[in-house]
Parts: sequence; C-alpha cells; structure tokens
Amino acid sequence: MTPAVTIEKRKAAAKVEQNAHGHKRFRAVHARLTGAACKPADPPEMSLETGAAEKPVTPPPAVESAPNAAEKRQVSFAQILVFELRVRDAMTSPPITATATDSLRSIQHLMKAHRISGVPILANDVLVGIISIEDIINALDGGHINESVEPWMSRKIVTLRDHFSLVRAVAEFDRHGYGRFPVLDANNQLVGVITRGDITVCLMHHLERRAEEAVAKEAALVATRAADEKAHRIVINTDVKSGDFESAGKLSQRIREVLRARSVAPEILRRAAIIAYEAETNIIIHSLGGRITTSIDAIKVRIRAVDRGPGIENVDLAMQEGWSTAGPLARELGFGAGMGLPNIKRCADEFTIQSELGGGTRLQAAVFLHKAETRL
Amino acid sequence: MKLKSATKLPALLTCVEARPLTDLAEVELSGCYISDLLSDVLANARPGVLWVTIQIHRNVVSVASMKDITAVLFTCGRKPEQDIIAEAAEKGIMLLSTPLTTYETAGKLWKAGLR
Repeated sequence: MTPAVTIEKRKAAAKVEQNAHGHKRFRAVHARLTGAACKPADPPEMSLETGAAEKPVTPPPAVESAPNAAEKRQVSFAQILVFELRVRDAMTSPPITATATDSLRSIQHLMKAHRISGVPILANDVLVGIISIEDIINALDGGHINESVEPWMSRKIVTLRDHFSLVRAVAEFDRHGYGRFPVLDANNQLVGVITRGDITVCLMHHLERRAEEAVAKEAALVATRAADEKAHRIVINTDVKSGDFESAGKLSQRIREVLRARSVAPEILRRAAIIAYEAETNIIIHSLGGRITTSIDAIKVRIRAVDRGPGIENVDLAMQEGWSTAGPLARELGFGAGMGLPNIKRCADEFTIQSELGGGTRLQAAVFLHKAETRL
Repeated sequence: MKLKSATKLPALLTCVEARPLTDLAEVELSGCYISDLLSDVLANARPGVLWVTIQIHRNVVSVASMKDITAVLFTCGRKPEQDIIAEAAEKGIMLLSTPLTTYETAGKLWKAGLR
C-alpha cells in the first residue's frame, strides 16, 4: 500500500492542480502521480456525476483463473472483502451536514466537534455543495470565515452510490484525491459520507469478525474434543447402606473391571480398589449411610465418599492405625481393625477428609493412573 | 527364591488335612499371610499368597480378589456359604478348609516349606 504521507502529498498536489486547471488537468497529474498502474480515468460524465451507474468491476483475476495454487493464495482475504463489501457497509451514516446559509465559522466548529474534514451542504434536503477543511483554512486566511457557506462551497461534487463496491470506492479515492465522498442512495438522497479511514475501519472490522469466527470454530472443535474426553469419563454413583456388609466390595470390583479394561497397571488398580473398598466399609460400619461417587477418566480415579453422619469426633485419632470404634458385629466379620483410613491415605495420591460430630464425613481420594511407582 | 515342591498348592493339602472347596490348580504360592482383619490383609498381604483365616464372610473373597491372593485356607473347619464359594470360583480364587486351628496350620505350613 502507498504510504499515508505520499497519499496526503498526492492529494494536496491534486487539489491544487484541480483548482487551477479543472478536472482534465487534474486527471493527467493524478495519473502521473499514481504511476502506470493507475488506469486512465473514465470520462467525467461517467464518474463525476451523481447519477453515474456502477461500472462493473472485474474481480481479481487470480481468484478465478489462477494457473496454480501458489498464485491463488496471493489473493488475500482483504482483497476479496473489498469486492464483497459495499460503500453503505463502510460509510458514516447519517452524515454531518450543514445548509448553504450557515456560516463558515459554524462549519469550522462542526468539523472540530465531530473531528471531520468535510461537510456536505444541503438545500431543501438536496446536496448542493461541500466544504472541506481546505476551504476553512482559505476562509481563515482570506478573512471571510464569518460569511455564509454558499459562495465558498465547492459545487462540483463527486459522489458515490451506496451500492458501490469498496474496491470501486478506493479507485475513486485514487482517481480524485479527495478525502471524502458524499454517498447517495438510489433516490439521490444523501445517506452518508465515506473516507479512506472508513474503508480501513470497515475492512479491519470484517477481518476481525472473520478471525473471531475462526477462533470460535477452533474453540468449538476443542469443546467437541473435551466432550469426547468426557464421554471417556465414567462416573459411578454408589449408594451405601449402613450395616450392609453383603454388598461391600461390589464397587471396587467394578472399578477394577473398568481399570483393567483400560490397561491400568495392577498395583495402581489395586490401590484404587482398596480405597473404594475401605471407604465403602467405613460407611457400612460407622455411618448412617452415604454415597460414593467414583469418577474415572484418562488421568485419574477420584473417589468421593460422603455419609450422613454421625461424624468422626477426632479425625486425627481416626487416622491412627489400630484405633477403631467399630461394633462387635463388624469386628466379628474382620472389620474394625482401625486400618481403614490409614489404608486409604496410604493408597491415595491425593487424600482429604473432613468430618464433624453430628454432621457427616466427606472423604476424597484420588489415584493417578499413569504413575509408575508402586505403593503396595 | 527357590520354592520346594511342597509350596505347590495341592501338595499342601496333606500336611494340614485340608479339603478343597473349589477346583484346585497346581500353582506355586509366593508365600503365606495370616490375619482375620480384612484391612490388615489389604494393607500387608502380597499378591499370590495363601491367606489363612477364620473369616468366612463374603468380604474375604472381595479382599482376596482385590489383592490377587491365590488361595484362602479357612481354619477350625469353617466353611463359607455355597454362594460365596461360587463367587470365589468365579473370581478364580481357590478356597480350602482345614479342621486344624490357625496356629497348628501355620506351624505345619512353615514346616512344609511355605515361607
């Protein structure tokens, strides 16, 4: 792209030429300034009159007729966008306008307030002229800044149609060197003003949106993959009844089956099974009942045992090997060795226990599936 | 570790007067563990051992399965319920019963070379 400074210089030069010698002279200068790549301008009637029909613009040939893929890739997305996007997509609308009876001073204030460099002048809602910042500078210089707009405005106005493609708009900017064009709709109504900056902003906006769409697509892909991963995750909810010694062991059996199917190392599998078994028998022996939630994914087995009480009076004591409050029935069956919690802790890679008397006990333990070390 | 022929399962039958409760395969035992506390077995028994206990509850099978215990020998002539025996057979755990006490059983097994 031509550096901005060059554009400004060219614009200024073109403006001077235009003022001194009219459009024909300007076109010659413009052609010289923009170099050989610039196509000769259309006849003034075609491009300068507000009613000019949209000249069909040939899309970039590389898209349609590229002899090879390498050339095809040279057409950037921005290049495609300038053919797809219309002037109405980029223009500032509604435009800031003034009337012919307004003073140049009021236009100066308008420009300052809205940070714009040109104001279309309307008379009975019809575009009759345009005041640019150069006109204001000249007015300040010539001492007629307080006079009305009418005698000082440019009456030769080049407009664009709102349905013109942006590539056409860019071509018009290059051709005329103006900083802005008033934009008319099909009914010759002024609907906006467009500047090169508007085009840049519009393109950036669309490129950004395109990029965001790409990011969203990528995120959706990641989410799908995560869902697949989740599908690989198994959650087993086991309700455990108080005193139900007969059912003990079924959960750990199930865990072992799942882990064996996933080729988990025997000693890791055993640790997970022991945790589940001890947690289960703890609920059976000591609590009013509870639930064990086991989740198995590709990384770890997590076992969470929550009971409804009565809670452990002294957790530190309960964690000591040999300390047990198990009743005679449990002891007769070989439980109540006071080794349950220490066993769980020893088998777990992660272990937490919370309990309060009168409340419940929450135990959480995790075993990582791909840790090579043997714990038991 | 060198194992004597007596550490193979069916050969042990004679020294402790044990009767099989499930089908027995000729396998070598890696050792022996004696305990009536399930958590103790979970914590300390090694895989492949003979477990000697007076416990005949279903959880014995669960614990044995969890620890990959080869066989369980019940002492004092105790025998678990038939469905528990069936469960053990299904899980590939051999069950035996001996009329001897745990102490007598331990002594004879040690003498027979099971270490």
